[in-house]
Amino acid sequence: MIHERARLGLLTSLVAHPKGLPFGTLKQLCRLTDGNLSRHLKVLETARLVEISKGYALNRPQTFCRITVQGRKRYLEYLAILEQVVVDAAAAIKAESGGNAASALAQT
Amino acid sequence: MENLHRALAEIDAIRGQMARTTEFRGYGPATLAATGVLAVLAAVVQAHWLKIPSRDIGTYLAIWIATAALSVMIIGIGTIRRTRRVHFGLAKAMIYSAGEQFLPPIVAGLLLTIVLVRYAPQSLWMLPGLWQVIFSLGVFSSCQFLPRPMFAVGVWYLVAGLTCLALGGGERAFSPWAMGVPFGVGQLLVAAFLRYGETDDPT
Repeated sequence: MIHERARLGLLTSLVAHPKGLPFGTLKQLCRLTDGNLSRHLKVLETARLVEISKGYALNRPQTFCRITVQGRKRYLEYLAILEQVVVDAAAAIKAESGGNAASALAQT
Repeated sequence: MENLHRALAEIDAIRGQMARTTEFRGYGPATLAATGVLAVLAAVVQAHWLKIPSRDIGTYLAIWIATAALSVMIIGIGTIRRTRRVHFGLAKAMIYSAGEQFLPPIVAGLLLTIVLVRYAPQSLWMLPGLWQVIFSLGVFSSCQFLPRPMFAVGVWYLVAGLTCLALGGGERAFSPWAMGVPFGVGQLLVAAFLRYGETDDPT
C-alpha cells in the first residue's frame, strides 16, 4: 500500500504538514496529474490513511487532504521497516567486502 | 554503500521533520507534579535548616542545585521512558528535539550561577529571580511542541522571576518561598495542563 512510489510521496508530503494540504499544493509537491492524484488519494482514503474534506478558500471550492493518526502510525512503521532493510543491506555489503579483503589477504 | 548512507540520512531527516510538527507527549503529568512537590519540600528543608541563608550561600545553593539536579534526573528518566512508549518510531527524534529546547536554558542557568558565585558574589541575590526568568525562556521555547495553555506557565515563571528581582535584595531574596512557590506552583500547573490539555490527535 505505502510502498507504491506516488503514495509514498503523498504520505511523506502529508506527514510534514500535519495540518493538511490543499489538493493543488499536493499535486505540485508530488508532481502528479489531477487524475493520478485523485486515484492515489482515493486508495489512501479507503485505507483510512488520509482524510479528504471539501471546503472554500477565497470563495473558491477547495479539496483539502490530511493524514490521519492511523496514517502517521502506519507511515512510521513503514519507515522503521525501510530503515531496517537499509541497515541490513549496508551490513551485508560491509561483511561481503570484509570477506573479500580477508580472502585476498589469505591468497597473498 | 554511499546510496545506503544517503537513504538512512533521508529517513532520519523525515523523522526529524515529523518530530518538529508533532505535539510532544513525553512529559508525564505525575513526573512533573513530583518535581513541583520536590521544590516545595526543598523550601521546607531550607526554612527549617537554614534560618539566615544570606550568611551561608553555599548551603542555599547546595539545596537548590541538588533539587534542580534531582528534578532534571526524574524528568529525564520519566520522559525517555514515556516518549518511547507514546511516540512509537519517533522517540529518538522527539527526545532530541525536547532536549534541544530545554537544555540550553539549563546550561545557561548553571553557567550563570558559576559566574555570579566566582566573579560577582554581591549580585547573588538576583539568582532566584534569574533562574525563574531563564526557566521561563525554556518553557516558551518548548511551547510550540506542547499543549497551548503551557504558554501561561511561561508567563507565570517570567512574572515570578521579575517579581523576585523587583522586590530586591536582602534576606527576602533568599527566602525559601521565593523558590518554593514559583517552582512548586509552576510545575504543578505544567502537570495540570499536561493532564487536561492533551488533544486526541498528537499532531
